[in-house]
Amino acid sequence: MSRNTRRISTTKQNNTGMKKKHALLPRICIVSSGMEADGAGAILGQQLKLLPPTLACIIQIREKHLDAANLYRLCLAVKEMAINTHALICLNERADIAAAAGVDGVHLQEFSCPPDRLATLRNNLLTGKSSHSLDSALEAERCGSDYLIFGPIFDTPSKRSYGPPQGLDKLHAVCNAITIPVYAIGGITPDNAQNCLSAGAHGIAALSLFGNTSSFCEILSHIDRKLQS
Amino acid sequence: MIPKHHFLCFITDETMPPVEQAHLALAGGAHMIQLRHKTAPGEQLYRWSMAIGELCRQHQALFIVNDRVDIAIASDADGVHLGQGDLPAAAARKLLGTKKILGVSVSSPEEASTAEKDSADYVGFGHIFPTSSKKKHTVPTGAEAIAEIRNSVAIPVIAIGGINLDNAHQPIDAGASAIAVIAAISRSENPEVAARKLVTLLQQNR
Repeated sequence: MSRNTRRISTTKQNNTGMKKKHALLPRICIVSSGMEADGAGAILGQQLKLLPPTLACIIQIREKHLDAANLYRLCLAVKEMAINTHALICLNERADIAAAAGVDGVHLQEFSCPPDRLATLRNNLLTGKSSHSLDSALEAERCGSDYLIFGPIFDTPSKRSYGPPQGLDKLHAVCNAITIPVYAIGGITPDNAQNCLSAGAHGIAALSLFGNTSSFCEILSHIDRKLQS
Repeated sequence: MIPKHHFLCFITDETMPPVEQAHLALAGGAHMIQLRHKTAPGEQLYRWSMAIGELCRQHQALFIVNDRVDIAIASDADGVHLGQGDLPAAAARKLLGTKKILGVSVSSPEEASTAEKDSADYVGFGHIFPTSSKKKHTVPTGAEAIAEIRNSVAIPVIAIGGINLDNAHQPIDAGASAIAVIAAISRSENPEVAARKLVTLLQQNR
């Protein structure tokens, strides 16, 4: 089995019995708003309620302003709310909190603790890594990351301070250089999502694209259709 | 393991490079170093932890990481120190196993006994005196409040907050097993000498 088709063995016990997670990593990664008030997960709860029940995705909890106690509560809450969905729950940065709360994975930032040093905590955790260069992408794979988020691919207001976007060519170079699945991030729209896949990306990741709850479901379905086509 | 005698814990000052501070405190005889930095990236914390952990081994001192159980495990630190806003102690203990040291900050006898039930190895209690190192919304407890904490748990109590060479005998007289300081060492003109004087004072109080 190639690493691209890495089987996620994570299963969840719920009232209706065991639910098998997807054999393939989902094509869509939803990054949380960064605006949760506390560990109750009001915004994520709304998004999860609207999530089409059959749609596979990664939900990355990225609420850097919350302390560890609230992040732990938030993970437990989101895990509970995601029971009847096909969402894999990954927590940004903190493998310890992810492991303690029993969510599906951890997403490490470009300058996080090296993933291979977290081996004991990562035992059952899907491990993603952010990257903004070919070098750090290669390093992320070498250190045992399960997937990569690479960007920003397109112009996006929130990332302008980090310099010009990487573009599809650099995305293509990164996807060619490593074997783990790559998610394109930064300025993704339903219209350019398929271009990222053509450049070799496994899927797309976005925050503001999914941020508006009134259009959340529609955008998700739209992008899902585009990616399947 | 946690020293049986009165001991000195130095907590790194976030406004200065932590490894150099730890080096000086250890040269002065500090028995425990706690790396505390709330904003540094994980990779940076990991590198600092590896460096301070090695220094602590050389000086036969204990190395504790504040808040980040992940960094403590990655760098094989001796343990973790958790505040009330960090991972719950019981959850952290499951990740750490039984051999690592788990410390918990408490501000009442109730929090202290909860920490002990959740398998903490020591509690940090304060702030005893007025302090400038951390923003506080409560008044200092005074050294006499240590007795109440001491009576509510069997594990060691580390006194923290505004402790310096002039007042360090007070928490020890009140039953604290140790003192934890930041500014008394980090803001001293000669941190190594400051640490040594505190250690000498603790030894006189045995």
